[in-house]
Amino acid sequence: MKIRHSHVILDACCVLNFCASGNFIAILKSIPAQVTVTEVVREKELITLQRLKDEENEGVIQFETVITQGLLLVVDFESELEEETFVNYAFELGDDGESATCAIAVHRGWAIATDDKKAVSFSQKEAPHLQVLSTLEIIKSWSEGANLTSAELRTVLRAVRTKGRYMPHRNHPLLSWWENLMQ
Amino acid sequence: MATNILDNINLRSLGELLQQARKKCGMTQADAAKVIDTARTTIVAIEKGERRLKPNELIKLARAYGRTVSDFVRPSPVVEPFQVQFRAAYQRNEQEEARIDPIIQRLEELCRNYLELEKIVDAPLPRNYPQEYDVTSMPIEAAAESIAIAERQQLGLGDGPIPLLRDILEQSVGIRIFYIKMPAKYSEIYSYDEQIGGCIAINLDHYEERRRWSMAHGYLHFLAHRRKPVVDFEGQYQRIPESERLAEAFPKYFLMPTSGLLRRFNDMYRTHGKFTPTNLFTLAHYYGVSIEALIYRLEEMGLLPSGTWDRLRDRGLKVRKVQQELGLEDIQQRPDKMPIHYQHLAIEALDQGLITEGRFADFLGVDRLEARRIAEALREHSSGMIEETVHLDLRQA
Repeated sequence: MKIRHSHVILDACCVLNFCASGNFIAILKSIPAQVTVTEVVREKELITLQRLKDEENEGVIQFETVITQGLLLVVDFESELEEETFVNYAFELGDDGESATCAIAVHRGWAIATDDKKAVSFSQKEAPHLQVLSTLEIIKSWSEGANLTSAELRTVLRAVRTKGRYMPHRNHPLLSWWENLMQ
Repeated sequence: MATNILDNINLRSLGELLQQARKKCGMTQADAAKVIDTARTTIVAIEKGERRLKPNELIKLARAYGRTVSDFVRPSPVVEPFQVQFRAAYQRNEQEEARIDPIIQRLEELCRNYLELEKIVDAPLPRNYPQEYDVTSMPIEAAAESIAIAERQQLGLGDGPIPLLRDILEQSVGIRIFYIKMPAKYSEIYSYDEQIGGCIAINLDHYEERRRWSMAHGYLHFLAHRRKPVVDFEGQYQRIPESERLAEAFPKYFLMPTSGLLRRFNDMYRTHGKFTPTNLFTLAHYYGVSIEALIYRLEEMGLLPSGTWDRLRDRGLKVRKVQQELGLEDIQQRPDKMPIHYQHLAIEALDQGLITEGRFADFLGVDRLEARRIAEALREHSSGMIEETVHLDLRQA
């Protein structure tokens, strides 16, 4: 997986999926760019992560650990222009998390990691030059770099499926890859 | 997207929303002024819609109020505030108001969401509203029964039980029915306006037999006093008004029609040579009503001696225990907070990429994880169809 930008900004879908995978730290380390998340997403999704079916609230612990270790940088608006764009996007998307993610990515020229259909089409319309990554693309790349066996990868994908309740939509480019592994 | 949305937004509406949010979280105008480092008079001007907000100020205020920025700028259908309707209709003390106002506001928000979803998916809720019944100077019981018979006929219900009353009222009539958590003494809230139509909030925490009763009660208000908002709770009246007496009489005729009930009672009586508590429980389960409601109905019909309920209660009758012993399962129900059409609109909007997953979760009033569970269930519910087939138009060749 080649990333054309210095930073990747994760949206809430991806944060939830990576936490559910149980391999958040390893996955982040495999991404060849600085990974970030907006303050808006961090604040809201912590509550969701607490509900991940882990005995010891591993989802939240993983999320906090990657932040403390600097693997995941929490970013907030840095200019009036970013704030203005965020408010404009909130009007369009009706979703603060996706709006903040897109606004910061657009102004700083960062790649976006999202699985959200609406957010993908919106960012492609607003900033077609920005790279958009998905949960599966990132997990696939990590699994290849880490030489995971099919069984190990299946365990990870199943965790994302069952704990994070994620499944790719019908037009996802990696749908058949995912389906083959999940069998 | 070059223009600043705050330059074009309706400042008055924005100001009102900000004021409501500030009050809801218990902040004063002075507190809010500190948040954006300004004078209190500036907050006054902002809330009156006389001063334009900077993006940074809106973000700070939204965060301080514990709200999202989208809550303030997202285009949302404008509806007449429910509180205004209810305040005009009811005089309540402060304590009562503090309890019920958040629920009325929640109902309004849900109705607004419903309209928004209809607009996003371009699929308005079909309405099949009967004309309002004129019950002027009619005797209460006769009017209640006559409306019940007419409505059963219109809805094609015959004189049998109504298994899924909520679905019938939502889908056949087009009433918006939400299940909302309320304090125990509240049963139902009914409201109507031209844009939204009839909407009812039912106490989620009540058992289904009671919720069905409350739904029928609210439905009567829709049928006979359509434009009069209602909050139904115990001990509300010193002297019960006629409209309320009619609404109280209607559910028994609507849920337990005389002809059908009489026939089934006689069948049971003939088979056993007596009418036993087991028969009573079976019959109540069949009609989806409480034991108490059925007994009173049979007493009124002269089929049981008066005082039967009191005698059973004095003997220490434990309704739930007997129901379990008789193997009577919970009656058929759909206790979702949101109407089924509402949920289908939301999943359609999500799957078509018209709303984000976060917004989908907001529409359902749950977090993202629960939203994903509901999305899966809704897709599965569509006859086990996979995502690509769910939205097919089967009438297209």
